[in-house]
Amino acid sequence: MDLRLKFVQLTHKALQKVGRGGSFHGEIALRIDPHFIEKFKMPTTVILVTGTNGKTTTSNLIAESLRASGMKVINNRRGDNLNVGIATLLASNADSDFRIQADAAVIEVDELTVYRQFKNLHPTHLVVTNFFRDQLDRAGEMETIIRKIQEVTEDFEGHLILNGDDPNVLRIADTAKKAYVHYFSVAENKVSVKTTDEASEGKFCPRCGKPLVYDFYQYSHIGRFHCPYDHFGEITPDVLVSDVDYDHETFTYEGNQFHSFINSIYAIYNCACVLTVLKTMNLHPRNANTVFENFVLKEGRNELYQLSKPCVINLVKNPTGANEVMKYIVAQEGDKNICIFLNDNDQDGHDVSWIWDAHFERLNQPDIHTIVCSGLRAYDMALRLKYEGLEDRIKVIEDSKEAIHWLNEADMPSHVIATYTALHATRAILKKEEESCR
Amino acid sequence: MQIKMLWMYHDLMDLYGDKGNTEVLRVRSAKRNIECIVDTCSIGEQKDISSYDLFFMGGGADREQNLIFEDLISRKEDIQKAMQNKTAFLLICGGYQLFGKYYKDQDGNIVEGLGFFDYFTESTDRDHRCIGNIAIEATMDGETFKAVGFENHGGQTRNVETPLGKVLYGHGNTFDSGFEGFLNDQVLATYMHGPLLPKNPKIADKILQRALRKNYGDVTLAPLDDEIEYKAQEVMLKRLKVR
Repeated sequence: MDLRLKFVQLTHKALQKVGRGGSFHGEIALRIDPHFIEKFKMPTTVILVTGTNGKTTTSNLIAESLRASGMKVINNRRGDNLNVGIATLLASNADSDFRIQADAAVIEVDELTVYRQFKNLHPTHLVVTNFFRDQLDRAGEMETIIRKIQEVTEDFEGHLILNGDDPNVLRIADTAKKAYVHYFSVAENKVSVKTTDEASEGKFCPRCGKPLVYDFYQYSHIGRFHCPYDHFGEITPDVLVSDVDYDHETFTYEGNQFHSFINSIYAIYNCACVLTVLKTMNLHPRNANTVFENFVLKEGRNELYQLSKPCVINLVKNPTGANEVMKYIVAQEGDKNICIFLNDNDQDGHDVSWIWDAHFERLNQPDIHTIVCSGLRAYDMALRLKYEGLEDRIKVIEDSKEAIHWLNEADMPSHVIATYTALHATRAILKKEEESCR
Repeated sequence: MQIKMLWMYHDLMDLYGDKGNTEVLRVRSAKRNIECIVDTCSIGEQKDISSYDLFFMGGGADREQNLIFEDLISRKEDIQKAMQNKTAFLLICGGYQLFGKYYKDQDGNIVEGLGFFDYFTESTDRDHRCIGNIAIEATMDGETFKAVGFENHGGQTRNVETPLGKVLYGHGNTFDSGFEGFLNDQVLATYMHGPLLPKNPKIADKILQRALRKNYGDVTLAPLDDEIEYKAQEVMLKRLKVR
């Protein structure tokens, strides 16, 4: 028995009693012992989930699907994906000998943390959702992240579950020679396009540097591509999802119809990824279908509030996420207002230049009435919109309470877009505003 | 009036929202009834660079920089001709570096520069970069003013004789260097992203004036309503306490 572990677990229990779950005990554990995470005896299945977008949703879908298959699973379901969050998850689910009390651990890991903790967590599976341009001041250039993940997977002998339609992710397969590589892919469908202005990274073959040829794009640089010179990208997917029907939120896999949890292309990729994980474990895909059908997205992912009129909030972290959210908003019929909260705290990234990489011109629609700009960098957001000819519709309200209140008073359906650190505060304000409407 | 702009390597040298600069130049021209044509040029494309009024090149990661430098070097004579023809240049980050003598990347590879100017750049390792908000006092075409941006570069650029401005907050050309960018009467080169031009409308207009000079001489530009521009700038200056 380890006294330090005991102490950490007792702290956890004490905090739970006073109604504070949190990750405080994980923080203490790492303070006492920086090698804390290495000490655990991991279960037979350890699935790490990383990538730029969709980590939280995908890892929750995997965990739920394994549970539906009868396994005891632990996972960091709220997306606490840094060292502290991982330490917290492990400490909360281990016996006094550091043995994890579960059949499987599904761990969402930040793409900068994954290369540091990879070997310590003894993964049997590494899932990579996608690599997009993200918070560059925090994450560095995407190139650095890919190279570091390539380094730690060079001698990895487990399962690599890769997005076969992302040239940046595919690079990992080129260097992980000992791993069992599995690809997921989504067939051409209604949102697929032949040309795009969204792709920023991954336009060139990582092997030879020549431009990649795309048969079609799904969103951003995700799509079916290949290099005509060295065959990079010519993969055989282990899971190919087809017949995507956005109106009925369904798709087909191996001849059976599945339900998606939301009618968007990135959700279809999440599902394809989960099905691939199940396949590597010889688990029946129908267990996942029930999960997909009943899955409720986490806080701030298409979350609805009943203000005077309905208000939907979405988290946005990078250009690709912003583009997808804007596509969704524009697809909703009828008059609406929008409120954008732009912060530049540590977790948002200090550099807000990414808003110039996102396609805010999409908001130039006649049924979008007012766009309220709020948050620490409200004026940067307003300026971005001004240069899309939206000058007459911009309203800057720096204070977030006032901004939401204005939205409620305007008595029109609305959409809120918030960066990471603005999300929690904004949700709390929305909740209050919602209560005032009852 | 008309401005012909060439956006060099638009598909490769396009980090940190640098494309916003072209948008700002286009819109600020249009508001003054100046037609701003934005043309692009990537690897292997044939373009007569000297026929343009403005040459714009942004930054890229090491990988992209390695992909383009040979193509850029092959255009040296053409770029030289553009300089003689009074084309204006706006160079950000990687574009800035490649107009100097050389660029030594994070792995120690030396990328030859165009060598138009005497400065040179050497990269630090991956974990040490000049990252953060930056404010400078720039002096450009006879006027001194404050400018803000976001810097994010490992490259340390030395031997710059005529910088764009004094650093009020942040790093500049090297760690705590005190000076930022490079400026002569034709070329503005800088590490300032943000992107540079939206929150610094003075620089944007001076770039337009420089581009117009080639065909129209000194042009006075009608003032625009820059309230949001200066509000955004002010928020940052205030936060950095350099008012």
